[in-house]
Amino acid sequence: MSGSAPEPLRPTDDSDVVMSCRVRLARNLAGFPFVGRATHPQRREVLESVRAAAGTDEASLGLQASDRAVPSPLAWVDMPSLPRRDRQLLFERHLVSKQFAEGDSPRAVAITPDERFSMMVNEEDHVRLQVLRPGNALRDAFASALRVDDALGGRLDFAFHPRWGYLTACPTNVGCGIRVGVMVHLRALRVTNEIEKVKRAAKELHLAVRGFHGEGTDATGDWFQVSNQRTLGVTEEEVLESIAGRIMPALVTWEREARRVLLDRQRLLLEDRVFRGLALLRSARLLGLDEAVKQLSTVRLGVCVGLVPDVALETLNRLTIQAQPAHLRAADPSIDGDDDERAARARAVRAALGG
Amino acid sequence: MAAPFRPCDRCAKPAVVHNTVIVNGKVTELHLCEEHAAAAGIVVPAAVPINALLGQLAQVGAARSAGPACTQCGQTFADFKNTGLLGCPACYEAFAATVSPTIARSQGGATQHVGRAPARNGAEVPRSALLAKLNRELDEALATEQYERAARLRDRIRDMRPRAGGAEEGTPQ
Repeated sequence: MSGSAPEPLRPTDDSDVVMSCRVRLARNLAGFPFVGRATHPQRREVLESVRAAAGTDEASLGLQASDRAVPSPLAWVDMPSLPRRDRQLLFERHLVSKQFAEGDSPRAVAITPDERFSMMVNEEDHVRLQVLRPGNALRDAFASALRVDDALGGRLDFAFHPRWGYLTACPTNVGCGIRVGVMVHLRALRVTNEIEKVKRAAKELHLAVRGFHGEGTDATGDWFQVSNQRTLGVTEEEVLESIAGRIMPALVTWEREARRVLLDRQRLLLEDRVFRGLALLRSARLLGLDEAVKQLSTVRLGVCVGLVPDVALETLNRLTIQAQPAHLRAADPSIDGDDDERAARARAVRAALGG
Repeated sequence: MAAPFRPCDRCAKPAVVHNTVIVNGKVTELHLCEEHAAAAGIVVPAAVPINALLGQLAQVGAARSAGPACTQCGQTFADFKNTGLLGCPACYEAFAATVSPTIARSQGGATQHVGRAPARNGAEVPRSALLAKLNRELDEALATEQYERAARLRDRIRDMRPRAGGAEEGTPQ
């Protein structure tokens, strides 16, 4: 895998607030212990069963895009034999979880070349699949995820209980076993000190609010992943509607409103922060990850409100990913040590922003 | 090491009860044989073979540390408490007493799946639960003027109803 711009980060509708959206499903094979309790031979058997059921390309998963005459192949990446740097790269790309990337027991991830579909086998559950889309395309992602579920469910026996639904290793994921989530940039709500209000509201609505890299990570750069927590007693469509129809539009509206307030009432302060950030990014010779992500976030806010016409949103989205450690090391394998990494990050940012 | 022999305060038999009592501020030691202890109203535990006692203790210890186990995968209750994860699908029944309230708590009180079911293994969501749910959704969609969604829901509800009259209309030749 290269360190180039991932397809899911090209801007679309609502992309000033919503970077990407994804629909994830957790499934387990009947007749096997869950992953944590399964022996290595059992995990290998699960892996082989899922691999055989998935087939060789996106068409066998019901994913072939109408504009592609030939279906894209499915790449299977065997994690234990993958170098650490590449595992980290997959994690930075949101294609695997940290827990999955770090383990050495039998496990693999299937990825389509456009990275819009990925499927971890032997994470906490036997199958954790996700459909990722740029911007606000949740309904499209949802339809694709269900098609994959149909395709796999027609070839594999999923563990299912009439009362609890799809059975998962963690009992709080039962029912639909679905997570519908959006990655949103709420920089202005942070500046106006309203982010805690948003988090409280999200909690009351049974939503999970997590950082840039998911569970257990902080909201560096004011990127938040917002997804449903309820999976039982609700239909998949209901979960989709709650996020796509209500939560996401509300988050977009609130963030845009906060941006408008900042522009109207605190324009000078906002301009000061944005242009200081831009100057720093265009001048720094050593750039730490936290500093880079934070300043990219501030400049992104400036771009979204029209203060910085010469920088594209796509550039900032791309840099937010490419400034991550494994991406820098993939682009330049000679990087050795923290100072090297910070220097490489500064070079990459200056090159992209014309410093 | 055996305890030093001490005769009963009231006869020559070995004392089995050794009590220290304080009467009127004065510390007095009391050593009684089985019979005199019983006469004084002190209950002497019946002799239990040591191996049986140890066996019992081991079981109590195991029950305390690991709790019941799933007969399918061997996962213990303690494993679940420690990791928050179950060992296999059968654990949902094995640990139902704890798992059910855990699920209900994390799912806003819900205790019945109403979503999709896998086509292949003949599993089904109880129709009544799903129908009730879809009807509630339909009401909500109509109340919030989401007519497209309402139409989709109405179609799903119609598809779920048993077909009265079977082959009366539109039967292919």
